[in-house]
Amino acid sequence: MHVFLQTLLDGLMLGGLYALAASGFSLIFGVMGILNLAHGAFLVLGAYVGLQISQSLSIEPILTLPAVVVVLFAAGALFQRYLVQLTVDRGGLVASLLVTFGVSLIIHDLLAHFYGPGSRTIVSSYAYSRIEFGGLVIGLSRLVPLVVSIVLILALHFMLARSRLGREMRAASQQIVAARLCGINVRRVFALTFGIASAYAGVAGVLVGTVLPFSPNSETYWTISAFVVVVLGGAKSPAGTLLGGLLLGILNTMTAQFISPLFTSTVMFLVLVLMLLVRPQGILGHAAGATR
Amino acid sequence: MSIRMNRRTLLASAAGGVLALPFTSRGRAVAQAAKTVVLGGSIPLTGAAAETGMNVFAGYKTLVKFINEELKGFDVGGERVTFELNMIDDASEAQRATTLIQRQIDEGIEFFLGSFSSQIVLPTAAITERAGKVMVQTGGGSDQIFSQGFQSVFGMYPRASRSVYPAVDAFLSMDPKPQSAVVIYTNDPFSRLQADGVTAYIKEQGMNLLETYSLPAEVTDVSGVLASIRELKPDVALCVTHDQNSQLITAQMAATNTNVKGLFQVLGPATENYRKSLGNKADDIFAVTSWSEDMKYGDDIVGTAKDFANYYRKVETRPLVFHVVNGAQCIMIYMRAMQAAGSLEPMAVRDAIKGLDIMTFGGPIQFMPEGDGHPVKMGLKIAQVQKGELKVVFPKEVAAASAIWPMTPWDAR
Repeated sequence: MHVFLQTLLDGLMLGGLYALAASGFSLIFGVMGILNLAHGAFLVLGAYVGLQISQSLSIEPILTLPAVVVVLFAAGALFQRYLVQLTVDRGGLVASLLVTFGVSLIIHDLLAHFYGPGSRTIVSSYAYSRIEFGGLVIGLSRLVPLVVSIVLILALHFMLARSRLGREMRAASQQIVAARLCGINVRRVFALTFGIASAYAGVAGVLVGTVLPFSPNSETYWTISAFVVVVLGGAKSPAGTLLGGLLLGILNTMTAQFISPLFTSTVMFLVLVLMLLVRPQGILGHAAGATR
Repeated sequence: MSIRMNRRTLLASAAGGVLALPFTSRGRAVAQAAKTVVLGGSIPLTGAAAETGMNVFAGYKTLVKFINEELKGFDVGGERVTFELNMIDDASEAQRATTLIQRQIDEGIEFFLGSFSSQIVLPTAAITERAGKVMVQTGGGSDQIFSQGFQSVFGMYPRASRSVYPAVDAFLSMDPKPQSAVVIYTNDPFSRLQADGVTAYIKEQGMNLLETYSLPAEVTDVSGVLASIRELKPDVALCVTHDQNSQLITAQMAATNTNVKGLFQVLGPATENYRKSLGNKADDIFAVTSWSEDMKYGDDIVGTAKDFANYYRKVETRPLVFHVVNGAQCIMIYMRAMQAAGSLEPMAVRDAIKGLDIMTFGGPIQFMPEGDGHPVKMGLKIAQVQKGELKVVFPKEVAAASAIWPMTPWDAR
């Protein structure tokens, strides 16, 4: 029972990272219908920006988050406005796949050039601190990302549900022409969506960096895991993303503990296939066709 | 006017030419006398193996520079010879590497250096072997490279299945002697070979092997493995894992206070990034190295291990790790073999490499008949991170420091 509870706790901690890492991906897919294959690259870029600021100013990694948000928001918004939007206008959504994939390669190569291909870690003062109760161990470096994930995903949920921008995003996601007729500047909304999603990816990157070693090559893993989380939890729903992330984390640690660490990807994709067959809209998502 | 100017120009040129003549003619004389041998090959400068690939490449460049600029070449059968490197980035991909090697063979290159990773070295070595070219490499230790009857492929390491034996020997030399062990390995062909070899050796040596854990290449969490280790309480844990996974294992062991008497990791602790990221949590961890500048190695060409380290730091900026030294030794092997053969004919050089039994700044060189490194002379040494630096602690004859045993518990750091 103790092992089971510890594994469950570890899964929740890991799930927090997955959820936050996927929230930006889910937002873009939900609002614009674009599978942003550069999502993992933006996450890793955020990790490097956080690392750079943290090391240069000798400050706690978590204090770099405001700066990371600004940088990644700007990068994401510009990327959407001047590259993705133009591509979608000319070549449709399929062309955006190629553009986002291309940009992920460019970010990867630039990071490898400037920072080297080796793995890095962002060291926090609480990296090796832990809380113990009833024989269960929770590493603080994993608990902090979980808490931040829940707070940020809730913030995203309320922003989408209550704010004017959230309403505009939802309107643009349902019917672009109707949204325009209502006076919504859809291009601006899409750019802001990409900016916010990238900022979330950046924050996730810093938090991932405090927990796991990362390198320019890590981007693929985070794009794929974001995709799995969205399929599990459902697109266009921050609550679904949180649920999907936590489920993926628990699935990962349970498989590693009770089957073998070797089969975590196998089980992850088995569940992914099952979800696509049984409930393609995800646990908390809308029907697949209605996401656009 | 224009004629006068032309004359002046002509005179000035002629004067300049006369003044420069001794230098240019001497330069030409040297250039004509020195024959340039091109060393070809591919190397991962990008992609998954780039970090180590760049280290190996730094080693190649350093010794070529030393031979060409400090020694002004070397004599082979009365002819002055210098080296030229023609290494191309293979992006850590075997397919790209094989294409590049084939192209270099078509261009007439006779001597090859290796890429990094057995998955790349094996197919490229098969191509050079088939073409009758020679390859000296420090990137592939897989048993497969040395069990296919290749005659012209030489590796700087003993084959993989035997390569982690020294870690077990090192642990067994500690007092008190550890009784039990677990092995954690990445499930790729090379790591698996190493892990299979070391698990068999652990049992052979009478230690109690409690468990083996197989990890995928990309791991985000090892808490399950560590929970199991806390239950089993082994004396030592041996990790046959890649840099990134080794780092994750150590960080999570420290965070969850998972203590063992000895933690050994094949890859990771040798890199500066690992030690920098983990700080004092990297201390006391055992690792492999084939070299340390404190070792009493030396030759009459480069000098001692320390001399090499000093020269390297003058000409390169990458941290000095053993992969650098192994890369440099590959160049030294070609030089010494060409001198011994008295010829630049590939098969003569190949035979000379087979007969080498020399000492260098990087340690002894002698190859087994199958081309792998002599398991004792070229076997890996066991180092330990002590105050952030790698110190060789085993075998005792070449040790630069005594091992800290058992390792300091995580919470006491």
